Parts: sequence; C-alpha cells; structure tokens
Amino acid sequence: MVRPAESPADADTGRTTGDRLRRIQTLTDTELARLGVDALLGEVLERVRDLLDVDTVAVLLLDPSRTFLVATATRGLEEETRQGVRIPLGRGFAGRIAAEKHAVIIDEVDHSNVLNPILREKGIRSLLGVPLLVGGDVLGVLHVGTLRPREFTAEDAELLQLAADRVALATRAQMTQAERSAAAALQRSLLPGQLPSVPGLELAARYVPGGGGEIGGDWYDVFDLPSGRLCVVVGDVVGRGLQASVAMGRLRSAVRAYALQTEDPGELLRRLDMQVQHFERDVMATVLCAVVEVDQSLAWVSSAGHPPPVRALDGARGELVDVPTDPPIGLTPPRRRRTSSVALPVGSCLVLYTDGLVERRRESLDAGLERLKDAVRPAAAEDVCVRIMGRLIGSETSADDVALLVVARPADSGTAPLRLVEPAVPRSLRSVRQSLRSYLASVGATLEEISDLVLAIGEASANVVEHAYGPGGGLLEVHLEMHGPRVSATIRDTGSWREARGVNRGRGTTLMHGLVDECHVERDATGTRVVLERTLGRNR
Amino acid sequence: MTDASVVAREAEPGRLEITVAGEVDLENATSFEQRVQELITNRARSVVLDLGGLDYLDSAGLRALFTLANRLQLLQVELEIVLPGDSPVRKAVELVGLGEVVTLRID
Repeated sequence: MVRPAESPADADTGRTTGDRLRRIQTLTDTELARLGVDALLGEVLERVRDLLDVDTVAVLLLDPSRTFLVATATRGLEEETRQGVRIPLGRGFAGRIAAEKHAVIIDEVDHSNVLNPILREKGIRSLLGVPLLVGGDVLGVLHVGTLRPREFTAEDAELLQLAADRVALATRAQMTQAERSAAAALQRSLLPGQLPSVPGLELAARYVPGGGGEIGGDWYDVFDLPSGRLCVVVGDVVGRGLQASVAMGRLRSAVRAYALQTEDPGELLRRLDMQVQHFERDVMATVLCAVVEVDQSLAWVSSAGHPPPVRALDGARGELVDVPTDPPIGLTPPRRRRTSSVALPVGSCLVLYTDGLVERRRESLDAGLERLKDAVRPAAAEDVCVRIMGRLIGSETSADDVALLVVARPADSGTAPLRLVEPAVPRSLRSVRQSLRSYLASVGATLEEISDLVLAIGEASANVVEHAYGPGGGLLEVHLEMHGPRVSATIRDTGSWREARGVNRGRGTTLMHGLVDECHVERDATGTRVVLERTLGRNR
Repeated sequence: MTDASVVAREAEPGRLEITVAGEVDLENATSFEQRVQELITNRARSVVLDLGGLDYLDSAGLRALFTLANRLQLLQVELEIVLPGDSPVRKAVELVGLGEVVTLRID
C-alpha cells in the first residue's frame, strides 16, 4: 500500500513527549554544524538509522538537468551509490517524492510502486521517503527502509523531514559554494586578462559579476585572424551560475573555430547558430561580432539580438551605431544573417557591452543607453573603460553580470613608434608580420610598400631566428619609427652572429637591399642591429 | 603558425598543376618543400606551380623553390612558375632571379 504521510494528530502514542524531544534534539544538534558536508551527511544518516530503527538510509540528489535523481550517500544500501543508480523524476518511489514534494510511505513494497531493482533485491519491505527542500526548491530525496514489514507513522515522517531539512541546507550551501568557485574559475580562465597588443589600436575590457558576486554567461574576446584582421566579440549566454559559464566557454570556442573558416561576422554567427541549435538545445545567447579591417579604417559587424555598439567620433559624444539586429543565437532555424560596416576613423572609439551595463530595475532601457552615450568620449581605451564603469556602475552592483570592451583608434597612433619583442623562434615571424602590416597600414603605407617592408624586415628577423643564438635561444626585437614620411626599422638581437651554413643562403640580403632604400648592419659585442629605411609615397 | 595550402591536379596525363596559397616562411618552408615534392610523382613530365594565392614568400621559401627547380632539372621534368602581375610575392621572386632557372610566367 502506498499512502501519503498523515498529520501527526493520530501519531504513535507509545512514546512520551520527552522521548520525542530527545529524538528531535539528535537531529538539530549544533555539533552537526561544525562538520563538513560529507561528514555531516554521514553523521545524519547514522543518526537517522538509529533513531528510526531502520535498515537502510539513502540520499538521492537531483541531477543538474533536473530530470533524474542520483544516489549520493547511503547506509545499508551501498550498492546504490556504487552503481550510481538513476531514478527518473516523477517515476517510482523516490521520483514521485521529488516531483510531488511531499512525504510518501510504502507499507508493502511491490514491483508496481518501486522502480529501483536494488531496493527489491535487498528485500526491502517498507519504505518512507521525504523531499529535500530549500525554499520550495527540490534538491533530492531522503528515504529509509526496513527489511521487515512496518507501518511508518506521521511522526516518523516528521522526524525524517527534520533530518532532510538539515541535509538540504548543508547540501545547497556546498553546491552553491562549489558552483560559484567553479564558475568564477572558469570565467577567469576564459576571459583574456591581457588583450592582444595591436599596433594602431587600443583595447581595454572589463568583466564584473552580477549582484551577490554571481558569475553569469557574459564574455568578451579579442583575437587576430589569419588575414591579419582583428576579431572582437561580446556575448551573453542567458542564465546564471556554472551552467551559463560552461555554455559560454563552449560558445566562445565555437566562435574562435568558425572565425578560422570565415571572416564575415554574419556568416560566422550563422554557423554558430547552427551549431548551438544542433548541440545546445537549451542555450540562448546574444552575440555581437565585429571584424576590424587590417588598415583599421572600418569594422564589419553582425548582431545576434545584441544591444547595439556605441561609437564616438573624434571630439564628439557617443552615438548608438545603427546595426541591423538579427535574432539571438539558438532560437530560430538558421537563415542569412546580415553584416554591415562601421567606419572607425582616426580618433574614434567603439564600445561593445552586454545588457547588464545599461539595464537597471525600475528604469527604462533608454535611460541606461542615454547614460552610456553620455559617458562615451574618445580617449585612451583604458580611460574610456574607467569613465563608463564609473558613470554606469559606480558604487551600485548591477543585478546582471557586465562585460565591456572598448576599441579605440587614437589620433596620434600613426607617429608613435612600434616596439616588438618576441622569442627568436620561427613561429614569432608570423605575428611580427601581422603587427608590421597593421602598423604600416595605420601610417598610410600602400599595399606594395607594406609587402616590401614586411618582407625586408621579415628577412632580417628570420636571420635573427636562424643565426643569432645557440640552442638556449634569445630575443628578437623589432622597432619601427616614423621620421616624417620615412620609415626606419631596427631589427636587433643580443647574440653572437654566426655565418650562414648550407647552400642557397645569400638571398635574404639580396632581398633586403632590393626592397628598401637603405640597409645597414652593425655588429658589436652586444649583438647585431640591422637598420632598414624607406621613404613612403615615392616611386622607386 | 605559418600555413600554406598546396593542392595538385593532373591537368592532362603527365602534366601536373600545383596551386599554392597562404604564406611560406622560415617556419614552414621545409614542410612546404616536402609537400610539393611528394605531390610530384614519377609520371610527371611537366609541372606548373601557381603561386597566385601566396601572400608571403621569404628567402627560406624561395630556397625551397630553387631546390625544387634543381631537382626537377635533374629529373628532366619541366617546371613553370605562374604569378599574377599584382602578386605580393612577385617582387621577391624577381629580385632573387628565379626566372633564370625556371620558366616564369607573369599574367
């Protein structure tokens, strides 16, 4: 027979009030509070077994997907935890307790009312189970069983519920703490603390958790593409806590992977959408993806349901950029997504953010956007960030988490020198070339001038990689300076040069001399310096 | 990582067309050279190497092309290198005189 536990009015009258009090105290003992969660769970199970005089005790916790219960701690039913028994929510004895959120008593176990074969094989005859509840939320189930038939009373159910409440609170506290630290660790490891350095551009970013320090699914990302373009992403996975962070991590990786296949942000987001709809059924996210051209004069932008970026032109206040907004990721069947261009003239800055920055309770979104537009003034990227966070967050905590990314194109960047220091290994050559291309484009070099200078400096750099150092390695330093229209490049090492070995080696020098106006090599005890000079805008 | 794609097609029996795209520098020159050599089978009588998709080619990459030219000459396989007029690697190819050891076609 299966019956819900009755009210304790007609409870077992065999016990005295003092007896009852003693039993309650066993479970509310303050000593328990000093124990860690695992020890507390073990201790409560032992006490429940003695107190209720039962043969088995089990705690089953609801899986994060909230579709089934997993045996987590047991006494007398160790097989259950070892085998990781799973009970679907709503089915069987435990599944019903969790779904209906009240105690259930089974006087006589049979196949129809118990799903778990271990309970049957063990020869359990009677069962009593109660939900683990915190603030109306079900965390799992605590149940006890006997090997002889027994009619559990309402008082038994009440005592068990007392133990269950104790277990529920401790478990919730532990889960929350573990989830929080995991989410925070994940966020820290995924958000680039140091943004890539891109000649001619300034980047700055912030991530702030939401109210109560809760991590959500917001992210920002900046990385260079094979073509030398720069990809800038801000996104927001709907939801909070560890699950949102984990989904964010997967989306961020997917964006990076697709960025190697296509540099059109609309197409990139279309592929991301297809991926999410296939593999991540429950995930919804808004994403803004921008690809900045090599010459940095404009960015290609596509928005998947994301708040529009704010751009401020030299000397002016920020304005919302009119980017057509396509549906968020994970909602509708994939279709074409739009990409539009946003000019980034010298002296402008572009601000990408998540809605936590502009949304406040009891206030319209427009008010937040107005405040943001007011706060954005072209300046150094770090200063723009400081100003925005100061004006929009201030001393308040946003309810939602906030991600902010500022891309600034400073007015005087063209004449500032470029200084690169890389390990003298072959794989540094490519990143040196990319930095050179961006820098030379930003000072107005033509495509031909860029490829000539990049090859000449690339040759001098390859020489450092090949010849300057022994197996211990060393550094490759590249320094570029503008003197009016003249580019002066210095490629330096601190090793002792050895002559090239093998055949077909002299061509690097031929190339350098053929590609620039001047080429000098200086060698001394401290190393070698190659100085290359070329005047831009002159027919050669 | 520096990356170049190398794709071969047998345009007609014995005539191989190899298309190269991406970048070749000190980092990948050796593997680039190996890949090209692997693609050229014994049956090849002539090879057309299309460098139209290359964005960067440094002296290490050029060295690989010279080595290839020497080797094919020994095997009596004809080699023609094709480049569009506006290729970013054209100047490098011309400066080191690759045209003196292979047929250079600039479209």
